[in-house]
Amino acid sequence: MITDVRSERLIVISDLHLGNPFSHARERVIGFLRWAALNKFDIVINGDVFEIAQVSFGKIAKDVPEVLRALKLAIRSGCNIYYVIGNHDIVLENLLEDWGAFKMAPFLNVRSGSARIRIEHGHLYDPFFIKYPKLYEFCTWIAGFVLHLSPKYYKLWIAFERLKSRLRRRRERGIVGEHPHFYDAAHELLRRGFDSVVFGHTHHVGEVAIGQKGKYFNPGTWMFGTHYVEIISGIVKLKKWE
Amino acid sequence: MKLNDAKRFGHESIRTYNDKEVIFAEGEDSREMYIVQEGELFVSKRSGNNDVILATLKKGDFVGDMALLESQPRSATARAHGATTLLVLKPSGFLLKIRRDPTFAFEMLQHLSRRLRTTNERMLEAVQKSTSGDARERLKAIFESSEFGTVSDDLA
Repeated sequence: MITDVRSERLIVISDLHLGNPFSHARERVIGFLRWAALNKFDIVINGDVFEIAQVSFGKIAKDVPEVLRALKLAIRSGCNIYYVIGNHDIVLENLLEDWGAFKMAPFLNVRSGSARIRIEHGHLYDPFFIKYPKLYEFCTWIAGFVLHLSPKYYKLWIAFERLKSRLRRRRERGIVGEHPHFYDAAHELLRRGFDSVVFGHTHHVGEVAIGQKGKYFNPGTWMFGTHYVEIISGIVKLKKWE
Repeated sequence: MKLNDAKRFGHESIRTYNDKEVIFAEGEDSREMYIVQEGELFVSKRSGNNDVILATLKKGDFVGDMALLESQPRSATARAHGATTLLVLKPSGFLLKIRRDPTFAFEMLQHLSRRLRTTNERMLEAVQKSTSGDARERLKAIFESSEFGTVSDDLA
């Protein structure tokens, strides 16, 4: 299993959740992958591509083949595709590895230019997922029924998390909406000689400076957004794909 | 050498070294391990009157893990190459580190596994190349006692 890679042109997207009734990732990601392949980027899919907890089989049957086809085309045009395993992908790990198209990784240590960048899904730093895995799974499953009633509830949940974060004045320590553990984890990694850290998992988009030189990025989710992290010769930027 | 213990991360400290300054010396009894934050360092071993450079470590690389894990004297010397900043972990802080950053344990295991594979390959090569029967038998015994394999008589 690889963890160390070098790339001078790399893009990172995260949390597509294909098959989720609320996910609009397919329409956008196909065009994005075509654009990435055309511009000779290597691609990192930073976990949770497929939905396993709140799955709609009709949607998964529609979304997955088209996205996989776009990924295959990107590979044929010479892109390396790295798949960092997220908490929704753990059960699919062997299946994805056997499929043979992706380079699977638990996390990636990327060297680009003179910079070192850590790309990781980030579920290991989610206190709810780590401390109460069964309750986490149950809550995610229950939330699936709510999403079937109306996908708008998910946006309400995200807004609630952001409000909670602002009220607790956690803005100074991390991306708005995230638990401060993610910021602390990024800080811990930066102290190990990384210049930037990229997580996914939380679905909250943002970037924050840590210490004098370090930066922490999260491109959020493609369920309802189109943010990505671009790395060109060691320079890392959070961007929105239009 | 300059020491800077951060309050929030009491389990680890940051040290800066000047060019050619020794971080630890072969045979020494220190127990800390080091992660390169900035700069470079050379790891060397004494061979007769010469120092043989075994590795050049760069940002993100680590050294001293064997002494930390096994409480054995240092098997090599580490020296700063230019101004170098290191993150220093003590045995007690190491567990806290991997609790906070579990991927560090994964990277360390990967590193040790790679080292073990290289050692096995070199030892097998030495068994195959050795011409004297006595030396061959000795190497074969070492290899087999290492719990990682047996050497068939055809190979030996």
